[in-house]
Amino acid sequence: MIEDIAKNLVHLKKEFTKIYDGKSQIQELIPVSKSDLFPIKQKDLELLHQFATKNPIYYNSYEKIIGRTLCIVYEGDINKYWLNSIQYDSSYQPFYPTWIMSAYVCVLLAKDLGYHEIIDIGSGDGRIAFCAKILDLESYSIEIDDMLVELQKLLTILDFHPHCSDAVAFDYFSLNLTHPIFFIGGLPQMGGTQLALGVMKKINSISDLKRNTGWVFTGTYSQKYQLDPKNEAGWGTLIEKNNLKSVQTLSLPTAWAFHEPEETPYIFTQTVSE
Amino acid sequence: MASADDISSMFYDESEKLENLINNATTKSELSLHEIIETYFQIMNVSSMAVILKQQLQADEHKILLDKIIDIERVISEKFNSSIHPQVLKKLTKSIQDSIKNLQSEDSEQKSKEDIENEAKLYEELRQKMSTKEFVEQYDKGLSHD
Repeated sequence: MIEDIAKNLVHLKKEFTKIYDGKSQIQELIPVSKSDLFPIKQKDLELLHQFATKNPIYYNSYEKIIGRTLCIVYEGDINKYWLNSIQYDSSYQPFYPTWIMSAYVCVLLAKDLGYHEIIDIGSGDGRIAFCAKILDLESYSIEIDDMLVELQKLLTILDFHPHCSDAVAFDYFSLNLTHPIFFIGGLPQMGGTQLALGVMKKINSISDLKRNTGWVFTGTYSQKYQLDPKNEAGWGTLIEKNNLKSVQTLSLPTAWAFHEPEETPYIFTQTVSE
Repeated sequence: MASADDISSMFYDESEKLENLINNATTKSELSLHEIIETYFQIMNVSSMAVILKQQLQADEHKILLDKIIDIERVISEKFNSSIHPQVLKKLTKSIQDSIKNLQSEDSEQKSKEDIENEAKLYEELRQKMSTKEFVEQYDKGLSHD
């Protein structure tokens, strides 16, 4: 079912890009109601809409039937956050969000894989951590940029625990994690590898946690970036060197790939049993 | 395969284009981003041709062309690398700083959809300046390794 929702969302996005004639920097959509294509609890959809409505990055919204799905289109601008982020030496990648619906689908899979806690690394406005709370998982949102963390605090309709911290220095032991999955919010070619390795080092130092931990990497098939010889959308070498195995990949719409023919692959991995 | 005459003719044409671009850069107080990219690409184009030609040409047979190569290399070194290039880098750096300052000072009160979308164009211009500066800095790194 999760794969079907992901495919239907990609199809919806492709239909949307054909008809979208606005000028906003970022844009995304959320279906209004539960349907055969999007068998998502109505209450969950309403919370996703609340997250978008309360979020100051969106300045306009309107209803639109796309394909045969009634959606609300949200138009936004993240330039001031980008301007702030380029002034951080240790910031890994300027803020560019995934779609709220994509975040929700990713968390559906994480829950289906049996994880108890979601830790969103480089969490931007906290949408992945927010979706985790919708799906009754514990969640923590780690973001280095104070301006974005202030934004997250406006969006804690559900408390997804925003933390303003450098993720490679954060004290994960204090969270008492049991079966966590980490979302790494950065492309490998834009500092994502360095970020992932830094967090892995911290997690591997916590007794028994390494074998219970999952990792989700945000990849790219874009030819703009250097390929990884081991593939996995840029993450193959890191996956192999860290004794991980890919368990599933979901391709989903994101703000940065809106005009791209390929969606953004999210690679779900776990530690290979010894 | 191109004959020596073809290569020679191509080099003269490309050198002339470069000299025009350098003269343009000398006379203008500020180059557009397009002009900056065009000038640097032409510098790299002519420099690469000069390296290849010098390896292939015989000093006694192709004296006139070799003299032209030496001449254009001197123009690149003395006019461009020593004078125009540092100015371009300095002006780009200043222009980026000014844009950032202006955008930071923008009133963040409630704005209309049109205001936000118009301001987004200024951010796009800033990103283009930053990307051009990165390109110019790559050239600069090449100079420091020479």
